[in-house]
Amino acid sequence: MTNSMNNVEFVKALVAKNIEPVKTETIGKYQVAFEVRKNDVHHILVALKNAGWIQLSYLSAIDWPEENHFELVYIVMNWEKPVYVQIRAKIQRDDPVIDSVLPIYPGAKYYERECHEFFGVKFPGNPDYEKQLILENWDDIPPLRKDFDPEAYSDRKFPKRVYTTDYSVTNDKDSKLKKREQRIARALSLRGGKKQ
Amino acid sequence: MKQMKLFLGPQHPGMHGNASVHMYVDGDIIKRSYLLPGMLHRGFEKGMERKLWVNNISLIPRVCVPEPDINEMAFAQAAEALLGLEVPERTHWIRMIILELARISSHLMSYGGLGGPTGHYTLMYHAHADRNTILDIFEKITGARVYHQYIVIGGVRKDLPEGIETDINAFLDDLESRYIEYRDLGIENPSVIKRIKDTIMLPAAVVWELGVTGIGMRSSVNRPYDIRKVMPYARYDQVEFEVPISDYSDARSRVDLKLKEVVQSISIIRQCLKKMPEGPVRVKPSRGQSMRWTVPAGYVYSPVESSRGEFGYYMVSNGGTTPYRVGVRGASYPQGLLGIEKYLPGNRIDDAALWVDTMGVCSPEIDR
Repeated sequence: MTNSMNNVEFVKALVAKNIEPVKTETIGKYQVAFEVRKNDVHHILVALKNAGWIQLSYLSAIDWPEENHFELVYIVMNWEKPVYVQIRAKIQRDDPVIDSVLPIYPGAKYYERECHEFFGVKFPGNPDYEKQLILENWDDIPPLRKDFDPEAYSDRKFPKRVYTTDYSVTNDKDSKLKKREQRIARALSLRGGKKQ
Repeated sequence: MKQMKLFLGPQHPGMHGNASVHMYVDGDIIKRSYLLPGMLHRGFEKGMERKLWVNNISLIPRVCVPEPDINEMAFAQAAEALLGLEVPERTHWIRMIILELARISSHLMSYGGLGGPTGHYTLMYHAHADRNTILDIFEKITGARVYHQYIVIGGVRKDLPEGIETDINAFLDDLESRYIEYRDLGIENPSVIKRIKDTIMLPAAVVWELGVTGIGMRSSVNRPYDIRKVMPYARYDQVEFEVPISDYSDARSRVDLKLKEVVQSISIIRQCLKKMPEGPVRVKPSRGQSMRWTVPAGYVYSPVESSRGEFGYYMVSNGGTTPYRVGVRGASYPQGLLGIEKYLPGNRIDDAALWVDTMGVCSPEIDR
């Protein structure tokens, strides 16, 4: 395990040698993030894997509806040179397609499937990215998109129940709020010293 | 050749949590299998986006039930990284004590879980009795047994109660004195050895293909790949501990590593109790009252070593009062979903439960 700051520099040099990142951020001692163009994602992931970043830790997306794009994020890890590398790429929100990274990282299979389920991003190259995983019989837009409103969905999906008995409080004696107010008033009246 | 479909779980003594392994079997050899998650809860990530930073503390421990504290730690660490916040020195040591106690309790639960599929319930009762003592200690420290909500952004909720060192030390001495007994009950027991030795192999090439972390990886690649060692968080760089490793990964060697890790955790807690300085335990992360706290914009990934492997929160903030996006990297994702699909076929039916137990598959963190 070598010096961690050297590792971050190593990653930066490696990325600069291969592609031209849009943005570079260093997050702490053990983490570095690159924003790259969509077409460079596979190139840089192959380069990182060859340099030892063999573990795909996380793959997901972030929805930015105002700017009309999804931001895909790949986090890879090298245990010999411990640095987490975030690779982020923006893709169109109207037509979210990016080639699967399955040939590079076989472990991406279920991450991509989940990403498709929750964001609707398509991953051609992954044989079963379209199969449902967690959400059964989902019939709305993918739920982790920002324009999906769980409350509206729930109101539409599960109509308001009609109760045959009326449980609303009519008598003040049963009201919890009233009881609480009475308790506070009593406690204040019993308290000695200066009244506030 | 006739194939038959079998379900392991969600209600099954060998299954941990509310997931179901669907298996197509021929005789008692599994031909095809996959995991069906999503039976416990879903939509946590969406829920977190809709809650305030301070509200989220009550939601995040639910992501992993047997070891909830890692969630709190990963969440707090991520928010502190975005805020650029330095928490007080004493907090780090308290956090380490909590995390290591949680690790012991999680390992005990999974070691006891070995009793289910091998039909050896004494082990389970002993392990759960000891876990219960840990939960008692947690109750004294935090006020809750399972979901502690103790590690918060900017520190821990409250200082340790007076005299808790006595309780913790008494428990650690008790557990350590019965370590040999634990080994005899489980992995040194001839009837259990027959079931766990040389079953469910995990070669190093498969580890890298799946992306397995934690005990699964260390049992196979023979390197101390532990986040606590390679990129220490809290004050793990100031305590001495070893990372148990092995180069032959069958069910038995993985359980063996779990027990060895318990010994290391005991040693870490003792060192923490000795080295812990006095001082404040919490700082205010932001201005104003807690409902108005904001966190600066940014992207951060905060990994923590859980009992099953690398557990992390990917957090994005746009500077608002709620997180913009929280992604949970469950430690059991690779072995639970891809591992069961790719490498369980070829094993026997009764080994499926051992895979789930010894590889550490926690279904809530797959659902989330």
